[in-house]
Amino acid sequence: MTRKKVKLAFIINDSARKATFKKRKKGLMKKVSELSTLCGIDACAIIYSPYDPQPEVWPSPLGVQRVLSKFRRMPELEQSKKMVNQESFLRQRIQKAKDQLTKQRKDNREKEMTQLMFQYLSADKIMPNISMVDLNDMAWLIDQYLKDINRRVESLTKNGQGQPQMVAPTMVTNGVAKIEDNGQGSNGHGNNVLDMNMDVMQKQHWFMNLMNHGGGGEEAAPLGDANHQNGFWQNQFFH
Amino acid sequence: MSSERKGKGRQKIQMKKMSNESNLQVTFSKRRSGLFKKASELCTLCGVDVALVVFSPSEKVFSFGHPNIDTVIDRYLSQVPLQTTATMQFVEAHRNANLCELNAQLTEINNKLDDEKKRNDELSLLRKAIEDQFWWACPIDGMNRAELEFLKKALEELKKLVAQHVNGLTIQGAPTQAFPFFVGNASSSNIPLYHQALPPQVSQNPMLEPHLFGFNNM
Repeated sequence: MTRKKVKLAFIINDSARKATFKKRKKGLMKKVSELSTLCGIDACAIIYSPYDPQPEVWPSPLGVQRVLSKFRRMPELEQSKKMVNQESFLRQRIQKAKDQLTKQRKDNREKEMTQLMFQYLSADKIMPNISMVDLNDMAWLIDQYLKDINRRVESLTKNGQGQPQMVAPTMVTNGVAKIEDNGQGSNGHGNNVLDMNMDVMQKQHWFMNLMNHGGGGEEAAPLGDANHQNGFWQNQFFH
Repeated sequence: MSSERKGKGRQKIQMKKMSNESNLQVTFSKRRSGLFKKASELCTLCGVDVALVVFSPSEKVFSFGHPNIDTVIDRYLSQVPLQTTATMQFVEAHRNANLCELNAQLTEINNKLDDEKKRNDELSLLRKAIEDQFWWACPIDGMNRAELEFLKKALEELKKLVAQHVNGLTIQGAPTQAFPFFVGNASSSNIPLYHQALPPQVSQNPMLEPHLFGFNNM
């Protein structure tokens, strides 16, 4: 079976058109038959062609007569409710496609902005050439994300997952487990943990910069004193 | 984010009436739609007259006809051979021109849709890559309490930064920006992310129209 994309237009070449007609007519009849069988419903098809004065029909002349009578017996309103011709059908398809396109674009936009947001979190500043539209969308996106985080925190609290640990060892250790992914988990002891904390903090100095209000200039706070980690984190977070 | 496949994919089905009621309904819906699409394509490609009548499981009737179902049915039932007067030919030519236009529209939109889908795939890959790089890019459902609090603080700071930029731009008398908007080209992947195409329907202040985003969940 050919998998080339077919252009949706009248086929000018006579022999190509005739070949396509033969194939597609056969396929259409098969599909009607399958639909009727699988779903146990009445159906009929009539296909005229320039190649034969008599049309090809499914299921049979008698079957067609029966279904057409059933159709014509129905009230006019019922007949026309789901009646389409080429024009109305194409318009429906166009509308459906337009709706899908809009939806897909929205989704792509969301993905792009989310990507950008994550990049900003890792950089020191926002690119200076960003547009007003992007900024507004970004603000909106951040709010949505914060809402989701709050929701998640609430549900964790409900399930008794403990208090937020602003105490550095717990948090940073967890952070280490995530970032370093060296399997040491949260019960690394003594110096090991503190050493790893240093590493993490050094890697994450950009966070500190960010929290110093986007300045490119200010150096990260001294990482020297691991024993005062509470104060270190608190200083960064609460100005 | 599971990598296992849900569902069994395309299965060969038995050609007899389906036993599951709801599956039957879904199958009818999909196949009827596909059938009409095939009929429409046949008419477009080969320029033939067609009539399809299909009854649903609940005895509603769907019909497709070209040029319209009534003329095809009448022609069939009366068995009178088709006469094409000059007037009829004129009308048909006019109708075909109109249909040609509609088909062209449909093709164009489907092409755009394909482009956006490709773009979506690219973005999914980018997301996957950034998740491997930064833990905060991973789903928040997988984060513990501490990580959530940490991320929350970072986002709040970023939010302030954004607000500062907004104020800065407002003072400068934005919205006309230095760089041009690229319209509609989803495959411009060598342009930095934040310069890329905005959908034409995004207004100057989407903050007032959050429905444009339609986020239900992240």
